[in-house]
Amino acid sequence: MELQLGLALPTTPFSPFGYELKQGPFHNNGSCSSSSSSSGGSNKRRGGFDEDTRVVPKTLRLLLWNTNQRNGEDDDPNDLDDHSSSAILKNGGEGLVGWPPVKAWRKKLRRHVHNGRANNNRMAAAAAGNNSCGGRAFSNSTYVKVKMEGNAIARKIDLSVHRSFESLTSTLKRMFDISEEQWRKSFKLAYQDREGDWLLAEDVPWRTFIRSLKCIKLVRS
Amino acid sequence: MHKKMAFSFPDEVLEHVFSFIQSDKDRNSVSLVCKSWYEIERWCRRKVFVGNCYAVSPRMVIKRFPEFRSIELKGKPHFADFNLVPDGWGGYVFPWIVEMAGAVPWLEEIKLKRMVVTDESLELIAKSFKNFKVLILSSCEGFSTDGLAAIAASCKNLKELDLRDCEVDDLSGHWLSHFPDTYTSLVALNISCLGSDEVSLSALERLVGRCTSLKTLRLNRAVPLDKVANILRRAPQLVEFGTGTYAAELRPDVYSDFAGAFSSCKELKSLSGFWDVVPDYLPAIYPVCSKLTSLNLSYATIQSPELIKLVSHCPNLQRLLVLDYIEDSGLEALASSCKDLQELRVFPSDPFGVEPNVSLTEQGLVAVSSGCPKLQSVLYFCRRMSNEALVTVAKNCPNFTRFRLCIIEPRTADYLTLEPLDVGFGAIVQYCKDLQRLSLSGLLTDRVFEYIGTYAKKLEMLSVAFAGDSDLGLHHVLSGCESLRKLEIRDCPFGDKALLANAAKLETMRSLWMSSCAVSFGACKLLAQKMPRLNVEVIDERGPPDSRPESCSVDKLYIYRTVAGSRFDMPPFVWTMEDDPSLQLS
Repeated sequence: MELQLGLALPTTPFSPFGYELKQGPFHNNGSCSSSSSSSGGSNKRRGGFDEDTRVVPKTLRLLLWNTNQRNGEDDDPNDLDDHSSSAILKNGGEGLVGWPPVKAWRKKLRRHVHNGRANNNRMAAAAAGNNSCGGRAFSNSTYVKVKMEGNAIARKIDLSVHRSFESLTSTLKRMFDISEEQWRKSFKLAYQDREGDWLLAEDVPWRTFIRSLKCIKLVRS
Repeated sequence: MHKKMAFSFPDEVLEHVFSFIQSDKDRNSVSLVCKSWYEIERWCRRKVFVGNCYAVSPRMVIKRFPEFRSIELKGKPHFADFNLVPDGWGGYVFPWIVEMAGAVPWLEEIKLKRMVVTDESLELIAKSFKNFKVLILSSCEGFSTDGLAAIAASCKNLKELDLRDCEVDDLSGHWLSHFPDTYTSLVALNISCLGSDEVSLSALERLVGRCTSLKTLRLNRAVPLDKVANILRRAPQLVEFGTGTYAAELRPDVYSDFAGAFSSCKELKSLSGFWDVVPDYLPAIYPVCSKLTSLNLSYATIQSPELIKLVSHCPNLQRLLVLDYIEDSGLEALASSCKDLQELRVFPSDPFGVEPNVSLTEQGLVAVSSGCPKLQSVLYFCRRMSNEALVTVAKNCPNFTRFRLCIIEPRTADYLTLEPLDVGFGAIVQYCKDLQRLSLSGLLTDRVFEYIGTYAKKLEMLSVAFAGDSDLGLHHVLSGCESLRKLEIRDCPFGDKALLANAAKLETMRSLWMSSCAVSFGACKLLAQKMPRLNVEVIDERGPPDSRPESCSVDKLYIYRTVAGSRFDMPPFVWTMEDDPSLQLS
């Protein structure tokens, strides 16, 4: 297959107005959300107009956040734990990244509104201290770095969706592809606190952990 | 044949003429006229704008413009605002500061957007530029209050310190005390991003008190309402003010103190802040509302009735930022009260909820478009839209320069007809001939891109998500949008063909971002090989792209033109195509 690389407008195959009349007003492949898998999806776009009759529902829910229906007043923060297991998730448990396009500090405001707490600045506490987690400040962000011992690539996780160690470790296991058995046998959850000290998460209550953590590491025991 | 030019003014005269030319575009044109104009212009350019810090090196900038006094730099791609750019990507300002410290000692202004600024950089700024006046950091990160303390302590001529939307490591509120008692030149201070619970209020009050030229003051959430009165009383000349938290016990003495201080500020034109609003405190600002031109209520969780009351007091409002609590009814009230409105931004109060929590629909947008003839710039988050509404909006507002619509659920169709929203957005680009910025959402086919390529001739920035059917869509945009500078795309079925067929176009643009699309690694390599003045960077946290087949799609792609070659500061998850030995083709 020859790729056409032109410095002027190409002569073929894109005659701008001719093609689309052939295929009708609405032709949705629906596969664009999975393009990061290794299927070599670009081959399917050859010519662009193969007889691909996959039709997807017209409003495809990519984000199922609320399986328990919230009605305003009954907004129990613990409900979010259930959602993280039943929602359609990408990125190891973090939902559709970057959508809708609201800036990080607005997300924080949203958490305030739902939890009704006066000061939800848990993450602000995670900001101070040494920078062995990489010189990044987190005072307004709910994302923290997670590293797995032996793995060069650090990931980031949004702590605002978690309310317990169970929920957090479940996400981490998925993110790093660790089975339940492997986790129990060989891993421990450690974190670096504000003062720069490394501690084991199992030794502290969730509240303390959340308030003082700067970054997380999965260590092999 | 005459050797002299037909006219030959002395250089000083030309330089004086050029000093009236402020716009970069015009200055660039001036420098192309002839060699001597190029030379004169470069020696007298005082403001340099670098839209992509990796497009050029600091040395090149300094070499060409040795006498600049102000520099503006932008770093990360725009989608970094939405966490699409991994940490450690780049955008470090330090190398720039180092070069300028030596070569541009009279630098007065530094404006940065989406860059990583360390305390070391701030300390170097404080030390190196004796006449430093303006520091504006927008959406930056990497520094702490220690760096701010260095600036406060050393920059005797500082006029502006603006930290809008930054992420600051808040170690101590006492950095404010580092402004010496003799320091009085502050004109603008924006610390609204600081998260700390401790802001040294007494230091702030003293600072505000002695800086009698202070015109802009944006406080952070930690400043309680009952302290605001003390601050306002010391600065009745303020033109722009951002409150701290807008909640307090409902005590008459606190209220009257606060209301009194507010009404003494006769020059106020712009208000912001309003965190944690207690509605009963809102009437305190009514006396200043008639003069307000800008109001940022995007943190204010107040409901539609209070919002309606508030905006009805502001007949001169030009700019409104608000949460969708305003609802359609509030926007209708806005449309009838605020005839001078130019810019409207409506943010979602519950962006991740599936069902609407407020009654805000396309109707609100239509109402404002109909009632506000000067409306130019819109950012609107909602949950449903129709082609009919968009066509109406387009016809009502042919003067739009910026139109950004975000229908929260991806690929949402026209709720009335269940059709794609191609025709609606097509109307926007057709009627709004001066449109510079457009963000699309909803169910969209290649057809919308055909409209955009055909009509959007002044479009400079386009944001696309979950749209299109094929490469044809991308091709329409790249081949049709003559003024396009920035294109950012996520989750669209665009692949190699359109990109490679329009390779030359990419050199006329600042940058292209594509994530979760269908561009193969092989195409990236080919593009990089054919276009040496483009940096083709693959961002992929899964590991090296050549550990997968060449036909495999890359995760994220950032392409930008540059005269500085590949960058040196790439983290492990960013790959440039140059090092690939398989590119050594004969």
